Amino acid sequence: MAAPLPTFVARRRADWDALDALLTRQRAGALTLDELRRLDALYRRAASDLAHAQTFYPDTDAHRFLNQLCGRAYAAIYQPPRERWPAVRAFFQREFPRVLRRELRFVGASGALLCLGILLGALVVLWEPRGAELLVPGPVRQYVAQGRMWTDDILSVAPPNSVSSDIATNNLTVTILTFATGMLFGLGTLFILVNNGVHIGAIGALCLREGMGGGFLDFIAAHGPVELSIIVIAGGAGLMVGQALIDPGELPRGQALALRGREAVKLVLGCAPFLAFIGAVEGYVSPGDLFPTWAKAGLGLSLGGVFWAYLLRAGRTDAEATEVPAASAS
Amino acid sequence: MSPVSSTPHLDVATPERVALTLPVAGIGYRCLAWLVDATLIFFFWVVAYFVFTLLVSDVLGVFQGLSTVGRTLLVVGVFATQWLYWTVGEVFFHGQTPGKRALRIRVVRMDGSPVGLLESAVRNLCRAVDFLPVGYAAGCLTMLLTARHRRLGDLLAGTLLVRDERIDLDKYTAPVDASGTGAPSSARELTSEEVELVLAFLSRASGLEPQVRQRLGARLVERVGGLDDAQREAVLASADATEAFLRRRARAEV
Repeated sequence: MAAPLPTFVARRRADWDALDALLTRQRAGALTLDELRRLDALYRRAASDLAHAQTFYPDTDAHRFLNQLCGRAYAAIYQPPRERWPAVRAFFQREFPRVLRRELRFVGASGALLCLGILLGALVVLWEPRGAELLVPGPVRQYVAQGRMWTDDILSVAPPNSVSSDIATNNLTVTILTFATGMLFGLGTLFILVNNGVHIGAIGALCLREGMGGGFLDFIAAHGPVELSIIVIAGGAGLMVGQALIDPGELPRGQALALRGREAVKLVLGCAPFLAFIGAVEGYVSPGDLFPTWAKAGLGLSLGGVFWAYLLRAGRTDAEATEVPAASAS
Repeated sequence: MSPVSSTPHLDVATPERVALTLPVAGIGYRCLAWLVDATLIFFFWVVAYFVFTLLVSDVLGVFQGLSTVGRTLLVVGVFATQWLYWTVGEVFFHGQTPGKRALRIRVVRMDGSPVGLLESAVRNLCRAVDFLPVGYAAGCLTMLLTARHRRLGDLLAGTLLVRDERIDLDKYTAPVDASGTGAPSSARELTSEEVELVLAFLSRASGLEPQVRQRLGARLVERVGGLDDAQREAVLASADATEAFLRRRARAEV
């Protein structure tokens, strides 16, 4: 027969308190080897106490306390491997490009959607100029009507309320939203890709009609290729999530989603440093007349080329080429 | 005091072959934790705004031409508050942002292990969608509809929030004063449930209204009693006597 609850608590409490103290210290910093051994031993004893409490004292506070104590110890002992610098390097050297190549179908579909949007936007504006009133934001139209680039003013000194945060954070927000709205069965990603394509196409066509094609090209040449690539990749990640929701395969939907989510987010995280870099290019190189158009175009094309060469070549091994032949197709 | 099994919970089978049952944090905890975090971020932006205004209004004329730096700072700031704040908190501080820490809730994977970088990144990137159309409406809706109160980001990342309860074990080991009548020899052994009930009453008794305290004490004496009339009379004479008896009764077997 089990001992009465207070007896049980009184007898075992010292060990629990010791474990509790060790766990608190483990959070704060490193333990010595001896203390780690002690933590392990105490955890095992607490786990057996928990089993005892489950049997003889279910639904008491002692049971709840042990549950929680063991939960903390379990979390401390079975920690995921720490992501350290070597892991980060390995991620960018091998894992990120590999995941991208493996999921190239989704990235391709995402790119096709963006191109479709650009084509649509451009065609509409070229064919029917009044379409621009619908597709191009008002402020941009005003600038174009005055024959100026709207981007010229970004550089000038301005009070903070006129430094429009939606320009400054646009890339970041679009990238995050493109990925995250994949949760809406991929429809959000689809919409954002096509919508952004339409905007770009419409603005480009409008500039072309107003004889400012050169200016438009001048602005987007340096950062455009990489920036659009990043949005396309984020779109691919969003489509992966959408696909997992619509067609989870043999797994339950929740598990399929978690599995694909982990893969998809690698694409987004991999893009992050490039996004920051290209943001700097967009901020400092693209606007103004500091660099001639040919230099910007050359920079943009070579950056884009290097980016994609990295994505398609880095970390490639013979084993992978035979293992996943589809990835090397394009 | 609701039993562990009736509220939403996460069952974890550890390699030691013990089933852990962790209580899941509901929408209330999560909203409060978010409010704390949002307040912190809000104050960050207030400070950032004044610093930024100072830079741009440029009283000393030193920062002329620094507006591109300002713009970069703005992007960095948005990045930091939109995503970095949450993910750094969850990855490096045991699944807790400051708000979650204040509310004693914690992000874990579906198998109870601590959250990693990838999971945290997913669930925090998804804040953008959970926020739609306004004020985390989508997230709250999914929290209400899913069994373990998970928002879209949690579903995609395979994570959930569990609660760290603050449980006081002192009530089991509180000292017994020796005065008063001993437990009758005819008394049966109390079940752990009854011990729990008596101890819960004792830990709260000092905060109760006198009549309520008396009435509850009397009912507990009836339940755990095994007393004859004279003894009951003595025990119920005052609140102190009642509680002393109950305390002894709960720990009679020590």
